[in-house]
Amino acid sequence: MKGVAVSYPHTPGTPVLTGVDWEVNAGECWVVTGLQGSGKSALLETAVGLHPNVAGEVRVFGGPVAAPGADAAAQRRRFGLVFDGNGRLFPGLNVFENVALPICYHGNQSPEMAAPQVNALLEGLELTPFADVPAGRVGRSWARRVALARALALRPEVVLLDNPLIGLDAVHLRWWRGFLPQLISGHPLLGGTPRTVVIASDEVRPLLSLGHHFALAHEGVWRVLGDRMALERSEEPMIRELFNGTG
Amino acid sequence: MDASPTSVAARSGTARGSGRLRTIGSPFRAAGRWLLGALTNTRRITAFSLITLATLVTKFGSASRVIRPLIQQQILRAGVRVLPIVSVLGAALGVVIVGQTVQLLLQVGQIKLMGPLLVNLVVRELAPLSASLMVLARVGTATVVELGTSRALGEVEALEALGVDPIHYLVLPRLVGIATAVVCLTVYMILFAFGFGYLFAFLRGMPMGPAEFFGVVTGSLEWVDFPLLALKTAGFGLMTGIIICYHGLAQPIRIEEVGEATTRTVAHSVVACLAFDALFVPIYMLL
Repeated sequence: MKGVAVSYPHTPGTPVLTGVDWEVNAGECWVVTGLQGSGKSALLETAVGLHPNVAGEVRVFGGPVAAPGADAAAQRRRFGLVFDGNGRLFPGLNVFENVALPICYHGNQSPEMAAPQVNALLEGLELTPFADVPAGRVGRSWARRVALARALALRPEVVLLDNPLIGLDAVHLRWWRGFLPQLISGHPLLGGTPRTVVIASDEVRPLLSLGHHFALAHEGVWRVLGDRMALERSEEPMIRELFNGTG
Repeated sequence: MDASPTSVAARSGTARGSGRLRTIGSPFRAAGRWLLGALTNTRRITAFSLITLATLVTKFGSASRVIRPLIQQQILRAGVRVLPIVSVLGAALGVVIVGQTVQLLLQVGQIKLMGPLLVNLVVRELAPLSASLMVLARVGTATVVELGTSRALGEVEALEALGVDPIHYLVLPRLVGIATAVVCLTVYMILFAFGFGYLFAFLRGMPMGPAEFFGVVTGSLEWVDFPLLALKTAGFGLMTGIIICYHGLAQPIRIEEVGEATTRTVAHSVVACLAFDALFVPIYMLL
């Protein structure tokens, strides 16, 4: 991203975060932190091409981010985006169908044909007991895990997670803290290949050990903070506040 | 600043004058606003229709194992599940229109007009309109709420993030389902209307057997009535489906705006169906 400004979808044209100069290389793990409403989610959604950027240039996989259309579908399949909250699951489908949808759609498969791949994902993410449960009835912590399974269904090269650890109970938090390092280094479910991971989070402390690089979105301004050492050394009040927050 | 009484009077006179102009102009301004709004809506809905058409052409047959079951689901929802209420409506239409018309024609000794009159009233006008309005009321409103809520809650973006085309996945099955349902339900409604209409008229003493009655009615049908009926009902269904999906999906919507979008959908669909219906009047007049 070069000189990028992003906006929320409901206020297009009004930048919420400006001056984003950001380069993410393959295999890196970035943690983007900032207060709520600082534009982290808008940044992730702009990066995958869901919303147009207000200013600047967004390039992904060496080319410009695709406009809606067939190319966009091909490009978006290389991203796995886990939305915040309940992960924006499709409430009319059950857990199995939510995870199977991208596989069936892109591979023109029936749910039965996609079942081995979907079941492996559900098993790997400990979601098998929920397979037949309508997505709307799954609790938030589990729903987020279903959203992760859905995002990983197409074996994306880049995984973007929007506030994955917010509001989780201790058991789920422990699970995520165990899963994310495996995702970065190469999870067996994804063929053991390392993934590029971008995590947007209100809290930075739980992600200290994960992130290779850290960035801050604050009061509409983007700043790359550097690595963990740089973050820990920083005396800036905002960064100290995020650092010492609730983690 | 000039504060003399004359200038104040002049100013107030001007103000009164402009106020009067405003009063006179306000209905025109309101009409102009309405017209501009209608044109804008028409342009947007047309653009949405073209996008949908392009999606239909470019993605025809793709992801068929996902899309076909969705189409079946929508036909079941918009067609099969609406069948009971359409049967009741068809029966009511039969009693009210067919039965009474036959009675009236018998009273005035013009029973020979029965066939053309019933074909015009029921086959060409009332059944297609009633079926499409019934589908709009029973399925259309629920669909707008469903799509609008999905859009407001960001589920459409979730689809896009997975590389799933929302027009292909959400709009096309609904469009095909609604259009198919309107075509089929119109045929059912015509059959029910004539069946119950005949029964009512027969019980009221009409001296005509069922074979003769249906022979007169079918004899009044032109061959062109069949393609025209198919065209009209498919048109009603497609237009209703497009308007439903447009209001639910095509523009950013907040959850509190879903109700208003539903109301707009009903109004626009009714106007569109009536306008489309009017296009057929010259054709029928030539028959």
